Amino acid sequence: MAAAVADARAARRPLLVQGFGSKSAMLRPVQADATLSTRNLTGVTLYSPRELVIAARAGTPLDEIEALLHQNGQQLTSEPPDLSALLGSAGGQSWGGIVAANLSGPRRVAWGATRDHVIGIRAINGRGEVIRAGGRVLKNVTGLDLCKLIAGSHGTLGIMTDITMKILPAPAATGALILRGLDAVHGVAALSAGLGSPFGVSGAAFLPAWAADGIPGLGSQTVTVLRIEEFPASVAYRLEQLAGTLARFGKSEILDERTAKRVWTAIRDVTPIRPGAGEAVWHLSTRPSRGPTLLALIEAAGARGFMDWGGGRIWAAGPATPALHDAITHAVWDLGGTFTLMRAPDSLRASVPVVPQEAPPLAGLTRRIKAAMDPDGIFNPGRIYAGL
Amino acid sequence: MQTHFSAEQLRDSDTAASNTVLRTCVHCGFCTATCPTFVLLGDELDSPRGRIYLIKEMLESGKPATEPVVRHVDRCLSCLSCMTTCPSGVNYMHLVDHARRYIEETYTRPWPERMLRGVLARVLPNPRLFRLALRAAALARPAAGLIPTGTVTGKRMQAMLSLAPTALPSDSPAQRPQVHQAQGVKRGRVALLTGCAQKVLAPRINDATIRLLTRLGIEVVIPPEVGCCGALTHHMGQHDPAMAAARAAIAGWTREIDGAGLDAIIINTSGCGTTVKDYGFMFRDAPEAAQAARVSGLAADISEYLVRIDYQPQRGAPGLTVAYHAACSLQHGQKVTGAPKALLKTAGFTVVEPRDPHLCCGSAGTYNILQPEIAGQLRSRKLANLQERRPDVIAAGNIGCITQLSGSDLPVMHTVELLDWMAGGPQPSGLAAGGS
Amino acid sequence: MISLPEPKAETLAKRDAIIAGLRRILPDSGVIADAARLKPYEMDGLTAYRRPPLAVALPETTEQLAAILRFLHQEDVRVIPRGAGTSLSGGALPLADGVVIGMMRMNRILEINYDDRFAVVQAGVTNLGITAAMQADGFFYAPDPSSQLACMIGGNVAMNSGGAHCLKYGVTANNLLGLKIVTMEGDILDIGGAHLDAAGYDWLGLLTGSEGQLAMVSEVTVRILRAAEGQRAMLAAFRSNEIAGACVDRIIGSGIIPVALEFMDRPAIHACEDFAHAGYPLDAEALLIIEVEGSVAEQDDLLGRIRAICDDFDPISCRVSQTAEESAAIWKGRKGAFGAVGRISPDYLCMDGTIPTGQLPLVLRRIGEMSEQYRLKVANIFHAGDGNLHPLIMFDANDPDSFHRAEAFGADILRLCVEVGGCLTGEHGVGVEKRDLMHHQFTATELDQQRAIKTAFDPGWLLNPAKVFPLVAA
Ligand SMILES: Cc1cc2nc3c(=O)[nH]c(=O)nc-3n(C[C@H](O)[C@H](O)[C@H](O)COP(=O)(O)OP(=O)(O)OC[C@H]3O[C@@H](n4cnc5c(N)ncnc54)[C@H](O)[C@@H]3O)c2cc1C
Ligand SMILES: Cc1cc2nc3c(=O)[nH]c(=O)nc-3n(C[C@H](O)[C@H](O)[C@H](O)COP(=O)(O)OP(=O)(O)OC[C@H]3O[C@@H](n4cnc5c(N)ncnc54)[C@H](O)[C@@H]3O)c2cc1C
Ligand code: SF4
Ligand code: SF4
Repeated sequence: MAAAVADARAARRPLLVQGFGSKSAMLRPVQADATLSTRNLTGVTLYSPRELVIAARAGTPLDEIEALLHQNGQQLTSEPPDLSALLGSAGGQSWGGIVAANLSGPRRVAWGATRDHVIGIRAINGRGEVIRAGGRVLKNVTGLDLCKLIAGSHGTLGIMTDITMKILPAPAATGALILRGLDAVHGVAALSAGLGSPFGVSGAAFLPAWAADGIPGLGSQTVTVLRIEEFPASVAYRLEQLAGTLARFGKSEILDERTAKRVWTAIRDVTPIRPGAGEAVWHLSTRPSRGPTLLALIEAAGARGFMDWGGGRIWAAGPATPALHDAITHAVWDLGGTFTLMRAPDSLRASVPVVPQEAPPLAGLTRRIKAAMDPDGIFNPGRIYAGL
Repeated sequence: MQTHFSAEQLRDSDTAASNTVLRTCVHCGFCTATCPTFVLLGDELDSPRGRIYLIKEMLESGKPATEPVVRHVDRCLSCLSCMTTCPSGVNYMHLVDHARRYIEETYTRPWPERMLRGVLARVLPNPRLFRLALRAAALARPAAGLIPTGTVTGKRMQAMLSLAPTALPSDSPAQRPQVHQAQGVKRGRVALLTGCAQKVLAPRINDATIRLLTRLGIEVVIPPEVGCCGALTHHMGQHDPAMAAARAAIAGWTREIDGAGLDAIIINTSGCGTTVKDYGFMFRDAPEAAQAARVSGLAADISEYLVRIDYQPQRGAPGLTVAYHAACSLQHGQKVTGAPKALLKTAGFTVVEPRDPHLCCGSAGTYNILQPEIAGQLRSRKLANLQERRPDVIAAGNIGCITQLSGSDLPVMHTVELLDWMAGGPQPSGLAAGGS
Repeated sequence: MISLPEPKAETLAKRDAIIAGLRRILPDSGVIADAARLKPYEMDGLTAYRRPPLAVALPETTEQLAAILRFLHQEDVRVIPRGAGTSLSGGALPLADGVVIGMMRMNRILEINYDDRFAVVQAGVTNLGITAAMQADGFFYAPDPSSQLACMIGGNVAMNSGGAHCLKYGVTANNLLGLKIVTMEGDILDIGGAHLDAAGYDWLGLLTGSEGQLAMVSEVTVRILRAAEGQRAMLAAFRSNEIAGACVDRIIGSGIIPVALEFMDRPAIHACEDFAHAGYPLDAEALLIIEVEGSVAEQDDLLGRIRAICDDFDPISCRVSQTAEESAAIWKGRKGAFGAVGRISPDYLCMDGTIPTGQLPLVLRRIGEMSEQYRLKVANIFHAGDGNLHPLIMFDANDPDSFHRAEAFGADILRLCVEVGGCLTGEHGVGVEKRDLMHHQFTATELDQQRAIKTAFDPGWLLNPAKVFPLVAA
């Protein structure tokens, strides 16, 4: 792999970096001469359940890792989603892919993002050199944290060949409590009250009626839903306490465990959105209390969306037009937050910023960091920012 | 921490003691966070760790103290909050006492300051002079506005005048040297330190103490030799006058201990209590070492002693909320923290505490006169934190704090006045609500 | 001994002009330049290394900070950022030609928002000060370094500090939402904000733990959490370090993640008990402090499970705290542990390596052997759940030989940590102390890559130079 990069660099041939390549149609299209896939770099290289760590090569299918953890009563804390339904792809995702995109599920609001749990990586930089950062221990502040820099950089700074993550025991039980029929403002207020309660809420989402309708068993009113993951007795106790805390928002219902899990999988995998062929998908993040306003603004502009992360994350879809993209990004700008264009036809994503433009001094730093890692710009040129 | 004293320097007992203190400090910085001057001024040099370092350098050099060092040591309140915080057990009190003495002996202050300090050191510990001075101050008060505040001395003069009470209470015969007999069955015999400044500013405190103790069956003796305990001058680095005052006190109490015996030496001014409890150390190399240590061992804050003899109220709960202000000398200097609050609760009060109870009110002996700006900021902060708890009255165990915190809407009194009231004494004046 | 670069003659030559320039930006009390008053700034919590700076500047606002940096950049002057100066790795050690910028005057809390669960604070607010401001409302800021009473959030960000409760709640990096930083050029930049996961490169992640190498932090947006219903700590005392280590392994393996899982050996237990009077068992060789959270019934349940595990390891005693005061005393002892060692030794070096927890028994045994070899006592205090060790090597700084042995002993421990799969530092940072050991953990290429990142932020290498990266011959 390092040799391939060195060759590409010598020949100044840009590379498209890929895991399973299933989602290479996101962000900006990459103009590359060749594709470098981690597909053949597979296998778990270290798994020590007692030390709460797992390491695997970047091309290892995520399913395989999750199955292994499951056997041992453990899990990936950040709950990476399976976006195949949303992004219209098949074939699973790679261990490197979820880290390169810092992809996290609903649990992120309580337990941190995927990159929060990355404790070590091995990567190849744009000079074709092998770079290790972090290691296999849970706490490590030795040197600059290149793990975090490379994780989430969408393969633009280096190709990860090995990744080590911190893992946690899987909860013994999952429970969910729902409130029906609240509007978005009250829904998010209830989520805030839940997340601000002492009961350890590990998921907090608001589904408009159409989205609830898309998840079997939820009915056709808006649904405000909170999750608790704990030992069974604690789940029962905490849901009951939570119902009391949220009493002022109305009467709540407690879902049976099977339904609860199904609902949270659907939210994690963003299945209610079901984008049509000509539609684009956006991922938006703002401060939770501004979620309802942001949702209202994008709805007014012609998009639909639902809220996760207590109101702080909106998954949105709508016509793939520059006008809608503009309206959405302006709304985010006004309210404070960030956006990622997750899916769109090439014509749109090549012509608009797919993530917020950085202020000039920061954009300068971005260029300098890119140059420090990949001096000749051979990794995924143009993936995040035009011309970079 | 590493030190660089020569063998010669270490032969000096004070230097050797300071070396031990310095070596105990591991420079962890914990103490900075609870130091009032660091919190206000945000400079390592105004933190305990910074002062310790400045003092170390000064003592190691063996050269006269310099202005920059004096400035930061002077700003120290000797509140000893740093000692409560220090995990390593650094005795900052002994170090800063040594530094103050070193400064006094090697540094020449500008003359207006020298004058002021000289006057304070002479007047405050002497009740007769102090009373005269306060009368003069009362006369001068209308002129306070005329004093220019642009200079340090001007600010200090103003501070002094504003601390002086408008009406001076008349002296109380009870606090003169004598023996107050116990009422009913005699349960104990104690000496009472009636103090110097407190005697003049608030004789009601000694009155209440004597009333309460005798009512509880304790004989209270006030030996004639004992005047000022030496704390005031000690904190100003004036070694000889401090030692002289302390020596007299030790002699007086020793006579009582060897005579009719004492169960305790009661101190109701916690600033003095800290010093009396340190006599053992101060006289460690003196001929009186043994007596001094014995005196220190018998010294007890009035609240400690009242707990010991099981104080109980006689009246019903007054329905009043007391904000207990912990005097630094009591909470940090003597580590008496629970007793006053427990007693007030036993007496039937609702007891509340301000936010940041560990921070000094800025009184600190003569500090509010010598460092009026910092003292003023600390006072405002403390009063705001006390008022936030919406109490009916503030209680403290130290005359310095009581004077410093007076002047707002809230009455401020000594804990013992409230305890005396609930145990059958008169209702302290200035309390709004009536007792039952 | 660690070498420091020669001061730049040009800088020393224009000392007066530099000080005058600083005085134009700051009030008089904010610039310290006389020798006597620079002395106390000559070191941080690592007392073995000292060097008075050229000057100290104490800004009160972000704008002043930016103006100072812009000016010093213009003048090509080195800068040493400083918080509370509690670093144990010499991170805030000055240079003779450097200006220390002390952040302690920027100590205001700017915003607390419970609905969105964040707080915005200036860099000079103490770690505990954040929690203190919201405790009455049931919220807290999770990372809790033992130095939390004094250390400042800017320093925490720079060091990516951890603490006893990080086993559950994560370290500083996991509890940040945004930063206001000032670059060496004097540009003020906002990173992240009150929302999660900004797009683009992970500036927040890169800056956290960067030890003042990349930029100065002036404001921090932290994530705040609602406290659990209650918590209780259990003290489990064992007959040997190895037995306690094995017990830790079993607890973690059982699927229980206590909020805190701390280890102390005999010397540490005695020193801390002397300070905190927490009722630590003085007859134990090793002590675990295990804390759980939740409702009383939940606590009982978890403590019951943990107790059952401990019972398999023949404990000397297991005691659960009964009151809040008792819990507070237990933590006061643990958090004061390093300082408390000052009661039994004039000086200590605090190591901070992390190892895979499975290696605990081996590493503890080896440290014991080295202690004899170097004839220096050692107290072990550490975050057992995550394998972050804090062997405290006791020495006497007035005896140079004992200091040299202590340094060699420390380096041996850290090399051992790397050998068994761990790292040089889990939370205290590389600073100046571990700088020259970096090549044990990283290849030359890897170090060059990190240097290139530093250069991208600070091309003139003016920010906190001579730390973290081994010096390269010019
Ligand atoms: C907020 C958010 C943003 C997202 N943004 C994107 C996006 O920009 N692009 C996208 O494809 N998907 C994006 N996703 C979806 C996510 O990337 C995919 O679900 C996941 O990456 C699938 O894995 P894969 O193996 O198919 O990855 P791929 O589609 O093959 O790769 C995903 C990205 O990671 C890079 N990459 C993959 N493996 C490595 C490696 N070993 N080392 C370095 N880089 C590597 C690729 O270059 C690509 O940029 C996003 C999801 C979320 C929640
Ligand atoms: C007794 C004791 C116990 C400790 N326990 C722990 C512990 O449990 N866990 C732990 O992680 N650490 C611990 N430490 C280490 C230390 O407290 C931490 O590293 C802390 O974060 C330092 O904060 P500070 O404000 O004192 O920073 P300083 O020591 O002043 O500086 C630390 C580093 O940060 C840089 N810096 C400071 N402020 C800024 C800023 N605003 N912008 C940019 N850079 C800056 C400095 O240049 C330096 O490199 C302990 C220290 C002591 C003395
Ligand atoms: S005595 Fe008080 S003012 Fe003086 S250094 Fe200690 S804490 Fe600060
Ligand atoms: S807390 Fe104690 S040991 Fe720590 S710096 Fe202050 S005085 Fe020194």
